Amino acid sequence: MKVEEIDVDEQIGEVGQILSEAEKKKGILIHVLQKIQEDNGYLPGDVLSNLSKKLYFPLSEIYSVASFYKQFHFKPRGKKIVKICMGTACYVRGAKEILNTVEERFNVKAGETTEDLAVTLETVGCIGCCGLAPVATVNDEVKGEISSKKLDRLIKFIKEE
Amino acid sequence: MEKTVKLTIDGKEVQSPEGMNLMDAAELAGIHIPNLCYLKGMKGIGACRLCLIEIEGLKAPMIACNTKVREGMVVNTKTEKVQEIRKFIIDLILSMHPLDCMTCTKAGICNLQKYAYEFDLKESSFTRKKFGYPVDEANPFIKRDPDYCILCGRCVRVCKEQGTNVLEFMGRGIGSKIVTANDKPLQESECTFCGSCVDSCPVNALLEADRWRKGREWEYERINSVCLLCGNGCEITVSTKDGRVQKISSGAPAGSAEKYICAYGRFGFDCIEAETRLTSPMKKIDGELRGTTWEDALKIVADELKKAGKDAGFISAAGILNEDALTLKKLARDVVKTRNFDTTVSLYADSDSLKKSQRADIDRSDLIFLLGLNPSQWERVLPALDAAVRRRINRGAKLVVINSSETRIADVATVSLKGDEISNIKGIIKVAIEKGLKADKKLESSVKDIESTEEIEKASALFIEAKQPIIFSSPALFEAASNLSLLKGKKVIAIPLESNARGVVLMGLTTEGKTYREMLTDKMKALYVVGEVPLNKRPDTDFLIVQNSHLTGLAREADVVLPSATFLESAGTITDFMGRMKYLPEVIEPQGESKSHRDIFILLAKIMGSTIKRPTEAEVKKASNIKVKLSPVPFVKKEGLDISPQEMIESINASVINGSRLLWLKETEKTIAV
Repeated sequence: MKVEEIDVDEQIGEVGQILSEAEKKKGILIHVLQKIQEDNGYLPGDVLSNLSKKLYFPLSEIYSVASFYKQFHFKPRGKKIVKICMGTACYVRGAKEILNTVEERFNVKAGETTEDLAVTLETVGCIGCCGLAPVATVNDEVKGEISSKKLDRLIKFIKEE
Repeated sequence: MEKTVKLTIDGKEVQSPEGMNLMDAAELAGIHIPNLCYLKGMKGIGACRLCLIEIEGLKAPMIACNTKVREGMVVNTKTEKVQEIRKFIIDLILSMHPLDCMTCTKAGICNLQKYAYEFDLKESSFTRKKFGYPVDEANPFIKRDPDYCILCGRCVRVCKEQGTNVLEFMGRGIGSKIVTANDKPLQESECTFCGSCVDSCPVNALLEADRWRKGREWEYERINSVCLLCGNGCEITVSTKDGRVQKISSGAPAGSAEKYICAYGRFGFDCIEAETRLTSPMKKIDGELRGTTWEDALKIVADELKKAGKDAGFISAAGILNEDALTLKKLARDVVKTRNFDTTVSLYADSDSLKKSQRADIDRSDLIFLLGLNPSQWERVLPALDAAVRRRINRGAKLVVINSSETRIADVATVSLKGDEISNIKGIIKVAIEKGLKADKKLESSVKDIESTEEIEKASALFIEAKQPIIFSSPALFEAASNLSLLKGKKVIAIPLESNARGVVLMGLTTEGKTYREMLTDKMKALYVVGEVPLNKRPDTDFLIVQNSHLTGLAREADVVLPSATFLESAGTITDFMGRMKYLPEVIEPQGESKSHRDIFILLAKIMGSTIKRPTEAEVKKASNIKVKLSPVPFVKKEGLDISPQEMIESINASVINGSRLLWLKETEKTIAV
């Protein structure tokens, strides 16, 4: 989606009939941010600047709204997004060890992205399948019951193109 | 009259206007309700929860900042229950606040310190949390230290309401922080450094960057005065210690969103002690300016003025005080006996539009017209007007911008009319008359051949609906504006570029001979320049006298330079653009041998063998007391008044900008713009 081509009325739809211009802009903001992230993988600063100019919406407020949600990112993300579950069940079954190994192998700390933008490593609270603990996801694909053998396979899987 | 309601607060019977919140109503009765996030003039957001009070008949405590008064309400603000809650809140905040009150700059005016004392809290009962956020000290104006921040959001709201939108919350919960967009330093975030956030901050998170160990708050003497650096003439509060200015704040009570001052007014005061500051008279010997005595300098000036007589000319800036203007006129007309005395007002305004401007309260208006005006906080052209208009819009008023050039404020206008201003105004009047507003026959016939557009119809509809419209216009378009105002409200105001433009006109400092521009080109025998005028090169004249507080480019080319006091060093009055008389006390003593303009004129007259009496307040009041009546006038756009406001304001403040930290700002803005 090109920021320059956003049509506020089209985005907001029918409900726009009862909203003021300012309310409409507020209304579409998160939606537009999601689309920008979908296209770019993150929210690039220059795109947000253009969005602010296009909508006459303060840049500070755009950042404020986006930073409230953990789903929005301001830095480029890796090709593979690895989330390691640190929930109670996973933790007691060795999640910490998995995390340490992945950190070591890819030389990246949790919450960071490798320099070649191959991998972004994150920790999460609970994925919701504690029966499979310890669990990790790679680009939304769930990998469960990670034993030391499976850990090697997991790493190989992350490395795969 | 506004409707009032009766209620009881802490056993006291209180009468308050309908619709007022309990916080303000209690304040009216002299009862203070503790708060950290409330800003007078703005809607309460109930973030800090300190203002919880109990209302009889309601189970749970309510927040005073966002609960409106009701007839018969019985309110208790100091019950055991709410006091306990308040103590708990302060306890929580203290657990995340550096407890270094002994060296903290804000000690004495810090609200958190005040409430910690009130609730008997030496230390928090919770585990301390330290953030260790970096401090933004990359500019010489505002220091941001987020470790002190209590996240009340006052700065965010002030910044947003005046339309600058620099500060915002980022993140959430315990990780929230107040930052600029993408956490850039202020100078890269379109910050104008007006410092409204500093005035509103209840703690030490935002403060003037130069305040470290420059005196404790309780050592300061606070003096109310007026800033004379542009046509807005804003109220300021000057804090002084040991005869020096330590800081300047907006002239509104702390914790209020009502007043605005810009970076010039707040931070320009360094110029008082700038290197270019003149502290003794100078005369030119062999092409070079050398220091001399007052006696010698005035003797030379007196001789030259006598020689020149009716061919002498006086030009003055309009940032001088009324008393100075009265004395200058007497010196020129009665002592030197010349009819050539004029001010910079003639570059951008005519006296009629200034004299006929009415009074109005922008904070009560529901519709604002900006006609031919381009106020801008970013370019610092009438920034306080820009801020006041944007604030008013954010509180629900409508704005109509009529300007043939592009303006930034048009972005927030309800209707923006481009193209010829006069035809647009005529169109609005025509449509308004057709829709039923009563008008003079002459006026009606003078607009009948105008074609209206959809946008004009919209603007006119807003005007018809409005209860209290205000029309601000450039002096050049005042006639058209005044005709529109005759249909409704008669609130029409021409806005000049200098603080005392209306005052100097009322004091009669308008030429009876050559105009300002003519005196520059007509080779006067002697030219006497008072104050900072937009001139960098010596005009063609036999003898040039410059009387100013700073050694300007023009002063360097003068034959005699007389050092005058700045507006913070001289007492007197101005008459602002709405005709309100404002008083300026002598905040500090004049530097070195500099003297007030009027004292110099009086001394000079004495050497020339005449006596000018010091003007009294009665004399100023008499000169200001004129009766004006608005009546239909021909629609004209006055020619020759189209000087660039930005250039004019920058050049009359050249000494202030070049002699203070504002120079950093100008240079930084230039680099960032590239």
